[in-house]
Amino acid sequence: MAEPVQFMSHFTTVEYALPDPSPLNVHFAEELAKGRIIGHKCPACGMVYMPPRGYCPLCVVETTAKDEVEVADRGTITTFSVITPLQYQGQEETADYVQATILLDGSDTTIMVAHLDGIAIADVHSGLRVRAVWAPEAERGGATGSLARQMGLGSAVTSWEATGEADVPREHFAEHIV
Amino acid sequence: MRDIAIVSFAQAPADQPPGQTETLMLLPTITAALDAVGMTRRDVGFTCSGSADYLTGGTFTFVQMLEAAGAWPPISESHVEMDGAWALYEAWVRLQHGDVDVALVFSSGRASLGASLRETLTFQLDPYYLAPLGADYVSLAALQADAVMARTGRTERDLAEIVAARTALDVDKLLAEPYVVAPLRAHDVGPPVDGAAAVVLVAGDRAKELCDRPAWIAGIDHRADPHYPGMRDLSRSPSTALAAEKAGVGRGEVEVAELHAVCTPEEIVLAEALGLADRVDVNPSGGGLVANPMVVTGLTRIGEAFRQIAGGRNRTVGHASSGPCLQQNLVCVLEGR
Amino acid sequence: MAATWKLEFPYRRSVGPVIGSFLTGLRDRRVVGVRAPDGRVLVPPVEYDPATGEALSEMVDVGAEGVVEHAAWVTEPLRTHPLDRPFAWALVKLDGADTSLLHALDCGSAERAQAGARVRIRWAAEPEGHIKDIACFEPADG
Repeated sequence: MAEPVQFMSHFTTVEYALPDPSPLNVHFAEELAKGRIIGHKCPACGMVYMPPRGYCPLCVVETTAKDEVEVADRGTITTFSVITPLQYQGQEETADYVQATILLDGSDTTIMVAHLDGIAIADVHSGLRVRAVWAPEAERGGATGSLARQMGLGSAVTSWEATGEADVPREHFAEHIV
Repeated sequence: MRDIAIVSFAQAPADQPPGQTETLMLLPTITAALDAVGMTRRDVGFTCSGSADYLTGGTFTFVQMLEAAGAWPPISESHVEMDGAWALYEAWVRLQHGDVDVALVFSSGRASLGASLRETLTFQLDPYYLAPLGADYVSLAALQADAVMARTGRTERDLAEIVAARTALDVDKLLAEPYVVAPLRAHDVGPPVDGAAAVVLVAGDRAKELCDRPAWIAGIDHRADPHYPGMRDLSRSPSTALAAEKAGVGRGEVEVAELHAVCTPEEIVLAEALGLADRVDVNPSGGGLVANPMVVTGLTRIGEAFRQIAGGRNRTVGHASSGPCLQQNLVCVLEGR
Repeated sequence: MAATWKLEFPYRRSVGPVIGSFLTGLRDRRVVGVRAPDGRVLVPPVEYDPATGEALSEMVDVGAEGVVEHAAWVTEPLRTHPLDRPFAWALVKLDGADTSLLHALDCGSAERAQAGARVRIRWAAEPEGHIKDIACFEPADG
């Protein structure tokens, strides 16, 4: 007699729409294409959120166009990982790369960036001053899609390079690591 | 048992700007619910929310929604991967402990982001016997309709009349529409929409200070039937009947009942299981047949039952359901005193 | 929808002795139910009695033919449905069972998918131990 059945396979899929970008997402992307990085400054506590999300989660107030501020395209690496990509099904990366959080000057939130192409992996460290290398204006597709899906500044910025400034001491960004 | 009342209910407006995030749908909704009773988020002792990751395909998405509730400094909160009605039940239980007096309950969902709610909801089914067949909730409701019509003698016209009562559409025009899964037509199924709602619960006499007519929760209970449709009499809902008994529905006259029915046969099954007299006003809000903001629909029924008390009624019932063919049911009896 | 993305779940689930007996039976073109404490035969079998919660283990063979209890005609099947032409969902009480099994009924028209109709299992060409070893039901008189 054959073995009793012990496992059952079931491959199933479900499809979703990518959420429409919000008007704020669209505005952020349009400004990015012009070379401007904008955030929202909370009218209650003064924290600057970049990308802007339309509210301050600490004060739970909505933020709007009147709260818009510009954020610099240079800042400080607060922390990073060197990723050795596991070759799982669907993995697109093959070589080691850096994933870093960067606190841009003027922002209170960091962005996560992958591939700091202008900086050798061995040179990456917390406190390093970096600046964005912008894509040519015609090639700045902008960051579209939901906020959750944006990595860094999308296709507007092609890589990051060290500015050459002195490192920033940890105390200056200890409250903004991630 | 502490006396607990619903003092406030707010819903996100149906017309949201395109691309509105779920958090931004919720934030003003929660603010409105608290504003209505002169409270802020700092007055809340316990927060409980309901949502379902499968609606948008994102894991732990409810964590982002907590920002709408204001989660800093850290708050005491809990979550159910279900309709917000069950978050309300958990909040009611929590308030029974006696150490906090105010609970905030909310739920949100963007059913519009799924390719098909019919496909998405097959994920809630028995993974061995049902999910692989893709038996969607409309097909299952159609089988339930067959069972209801066979036992009670109700007809397709009766189903269309329920739709007409909720939507003001014309019965004969409804009957001329093609079937989706016979005997159900498109209008027999509430359209899945995005939504958000919030409710504030307050324990004790403080409720009277906050609101002219608090809706006192005279009873609340929830029960479940076996999952597999073939093991149940689909024309009846024993879990609703038992929850109704435990919640004390029959202890007084019910003036209004808001039933979480998203398919027409469900209204028939529920009205019978709750023992509702013909004179009861059923789903004056339109109910789930007009709009089905998945995972908010049940909480909204309880919110609408509260609105009826606030508007002068004395005894109303809010019902919520979960699972295929009304598998799981929650019954909440509200009284204005 | 504009842009979409797809979530895939490649499940491989252990089945245990009760569900395993049912699936093993299907692979052998037999249907197996489980006896509940009140004597009823539950098909498909469940591991615990729905009323009392007792663990169930007494497997009982039932027939591969039975009677339609309820049916619902699908004019436009979803891609996830068992058949890609119009069919009826049916709850079928197989001979010897006290509960009904849900599956597709391939009978050509809604008129042939009525409560009381006798139907039989159409087995898949190569059963492997899966609910779809039952390809669908078909009218017992062909």
